Amino acid sequence: MVFVYYLVNLIFALIIMLPMYFLLNRIAGSTLMMGKMAGRLDMDFFFELLIKQYTTLFSLRGLFLFVPLVYWLFGLFLSGGAYTIFISDVKYSPSVFWSRSAKYFGRFFRLFLWSIPVFAVFYCIQFIEIGVERLIYGSDPYQNIIWWGAWIRVGIGYIGILLYYLVLDYARIDIVINDETRTRRALWYGIKFTFRNFFKTFILTLILFLIGIAALVIYNPIVDSLHAPSGFIIFILFIVQQIYMFIRMMLKLTLYSSQVSLYNSLTPKEDIAELTPVASKEKVTLN
Amino acid sequence: MRSKLEVLIIVWLMILQNHNNTQAQLKIFPQPLSPRIANYDIDVKLDLKKRMLNGHEKVKWFNKSNDVINELQFHLYLNAFRNNKSTFMKELGGSMRLSKMDKDGWGFIDVTSIKFPSGEDLLSKIEFIHPDDDNVDDKTVFHLLLPKSMQPGDSIIFNIDFVAVLPQPPFARTGAKEEYFFVGQWFPKVGVYIDSKWNCHQYHKNSEFFADFGVYNVKITVPEKNIVGATGLESEVKNNGDGTATHFYHAEDVHDFAWTTSPEFVEFKGKVQDVDIRVLMQPDHAYQGTRHLEAAKVAVEYHQNWYGDYPYPNLTVVDPRRDAGGSGGMEYPTLITAGTTYGLPDGLQLVEMVIIHEFGHNYWYHLLASNEFEESWLDEGINSYTENQIIADHYGTDGNMLDCLGIKINDLQFQCAQYISGPDLDPTIRNAWQYYNGGSYGINSYMKPTLFLTTLQNYLGKETMQKIMRTYSERLRFKHPKTQDFISIANEVAAQSVPPHLDEPEYAKAQSSTPAVSFGSKQNLDWFFSQALYSNATLDYSVDAIKSTEVQKEKGFDFTFSTEDTIAGKEIKEGIEDKDSTTLFLNEINVRRLGSFKFPVEVEIIFEQGEKIREKWDGQELWKKFRYITPVKVISATVDPDHKIPLDVNYSNNSKTVKTQTSGLVKLSAHFLFWVQFIIDMPEFLNLLSFFPSIF
Repeated sequence: MVFVYYLVNLIFALIIMLPMYFLLNRIAGSTLMMGKMAGRLDMDFFFELLIKQYTTLFSLRGLFLFVPLVYWLFGLFLSGGAYTIFISDVKYSPSVFWSRSAKYFGRFFRLFLWSIPVFAVFYCIQFIEIGVERLIYGSDPYQNIIWWGAWIRVGIGYIGILLYYLVLDYARIDIVINDETRTRRALWYGIKFTFRNFFKTFILTLILFLIGIAALVIYNPIVDSLHAPSGFIIFILFIVQQIYMFIRMMLKLTLYSSQVSLYNSLTPKEDIAELTPVASKEKVTLN
Repeated sequence: MRSKLEVLIIVWLMILQNHNNTQAQLKIFPQPLSPRIANYDIDVKLDLKKRMLNGHEKVKWFNKSNDVINELQFHLYLNAFRNNKSTFMKELGGSMRLSKMDKDGWGFIDVTSIKFPSGEDLLSKIEFIHPDDDNVDDKTVFHLLLPKSMQPGDSIIFNIDFVAVLPQPPFARTGAKEEYFFVGQWFPKVGVYIDSKWNCHQYHKNSEFFADFGVYNVKITVPEKNIVGATGLESEVKNNGDGTATHFYHAEDVHDFAWTTSPEFVEFKGKVQDVDIRVLMQPDHAYQGTRHLEAAKVAVEYHQNWYGDYPYPNLTVVDPRRDAGGSGGMEYPTLITAGTTYGLPDGLQLVEMVIIHEFGHNYWYHLLASNEFEESWLDEGINSYTENQIIADHYGTDGNMLDCLGIKINDLQFQCAQYISGPDLDPTIRNAWQYYNGGSYGINSYMKPTLFLTTLQNYLGKETMQKIMRTYSERLRFKHPKTQDFISIANEVAAQSVPPHLDEPEYAKAQSSTPAVSFGSKQNLDWFFSQALYSNATLDYSVDAIKSTEVQKEKGFDFTFSTEDTIAGKEIKEGIEDKDSTTLFLNEINVRRLGSFKFPVEVEIIFEQGEKIREKWDGQELWKKFRYITPVKVISATVDPDHKIPLDVNYSNNSKTVKTQTSGLVKLSAHFLFWVQFIIDMPEFLNLLSFFPSIF
């Protein structure tokens, strides 16, 4: 299953990367400038690329916007299969995975559409900071207030985004476990569950988020220190990058699995007793 | 015995006398450094609530020309902000310097009275004029018909009362925001009489200023608690007992006077060489005070060491208030404005760049008082070039503008990037308001001169170029230099620095004692300046093609080897000798001139086994083909291998390799792939970008 996630991520990224690769090859593939890029990014080249190839890059904007959106929806699609595997606690089987992904995608997509206002609310909570700032410091605060306020807003924005992900995750778990077709109900359940068990649910998601940031902090200095690497070093760098992404996918699925476990442990027994027939039925079917 | 009253009167008279003497005795220079044509004694009071200046000005103007003068022309720059019908506002159409005027933020200046010392009223003799366009609504220039002509050598004195309102917020360099005032171009200012006519342009969106040198005595009355910074030296502060204080300033041999006031300034002081430096910081930027001070010291030190003495004893650096950035990044005699933001990282050296740049204007705009309306490059361009040189020398050439998160950008790269976005819209020399657009004004005033002067420096050598700049700075200070003056000095110094027999031998040159204008000559640079300044020609050389084909070595009887002739001449060279080899390669390198700017270039050809050849080409024809027969293949060719020609608009096409540079391509692509993979999987990462709109 991890391979599926990883390959999907790689393929979608390649869809964006390949046009850039061909563009770079065409404009500078056989130049010493490109040879220098084996070391550090030459800013002369970077600026010339942006300015002289602006029209070409601009024409690719649709790709840059559309592909990530499709990837995100595809992730939504795959989560149906992933959650089913974890909920049913069975070994991965392609037929089960893909069939369940297809089964739940329609509901997940509707869930996503219903969740957009929820996202808007969670994300916009950060702007309360502006109101608080005005209340305390007036309409003309010093720049240090504005600066720190902006960071606080970014932080609250991130919390809002992570909360939204949590709500979506638990709503999807609810849909799979209960075979729920009423997506609004599932959304509401996701909201209730998340806020009722906020700290436990939030920590897991936060860990995944922080690992992503931490990897960047480690990755960038390493790449920057490689001024003129050989072909072998470049290859190793590529492998390290892909290992990182593979581990990320693993962590994502670990998160799903942990969320399912948490859901099961936090959901009251009487609720589980109600749910069990459905889960058992799923188990029987899968077996 | 005198009565108490008499004693009091005598004491009061003595104090008054002492005060007047203080003003009269304060002398900065033992002898005048400049012609001192336009001299001002100004008394101004600031009304904070109305943003209003009530001023009285005594102007003493000398006719130092050989002409009889019947009128005087004055600038009233603040009338550019009077309404939306001024030439400035019509050209602007919105915001300037990242500022937009408040709805009620208009400003103006009105002359309420103009008289001779005798009391003769001249108000009826003034009339607004429009020397640049037919805009009758523009009131930024007026002329005053004199009742009596002025003969050469005459002087004239006017007493002018004026009232002015500053725009809000500081907009296009001047204005007010809450408690902060930056007051520039605020008084009726005489134009320049030069070349037997008045040079007094209207205020345009893309223009700066032009004025004569003189002596300024300015009394500024502001609230008692306010700190004042201004051109020149402060001789006295007098508390008026009514909540206000009057600051007395004196400046000699300057051609402008600006001032600022705020109760919130935090002062930092320092000294470098013989110059006292005063930095006025905003309270929320005060932690950057030392950074500003150090940058100012670097600026003063380098300019004095490289370009000659800065004759004034002091420099004031002003940090504009938040939301008053329109007053930032500007220069006035002995006073400059910088601009920063809270949280500016140390690796982003914008503060240093701005301060070094704005101080440099004290040389290239102030000491060398060129006409910024008509030849903006002489100030902005030369200054951008010297700023670039100083920053590279002091902070290094790598990442001297930005060095953050693994990204390194230097000042020159940034100038190049801006230049290539519009290199051929206009020739460099053009009236400031007549460029294609604001971007073209910026490119031709700042970036293009930086790049062509750097190119010239690399061509002549740093020592020669420094001599040119220093000679220009020292010889023409306190005058109004023009482009031709700069070119003449450049030719003079270059001719002295490069003896005729060491001039480029590849280029045709005259044999006479006076060097002819021969292309590529280092003794006469007219061929260079005619392209750089008076045309919109772009410089772009490229390696168009490179290949190796196998040829058989001569064998047998009557064998002659021939290759195709080229229009530029047969270029076949015997390269690397290897008598044992039976295989030879015909290596072909085609170099093209894609732009219309012609410049001598070097071409470096690299063969297998590491052998290198450097060729020189005068760059005149549209192309040049190099042919080599060698036992090894060529692997790459580069035009301008040492990157000495930053004026080249496309450096990516300067080289070609026979094989694709796979390692670079793969690394770049892999890096890009990784980032795409990361961001599509973690799109919330982009939320970090929401930080920036919040603070700007």
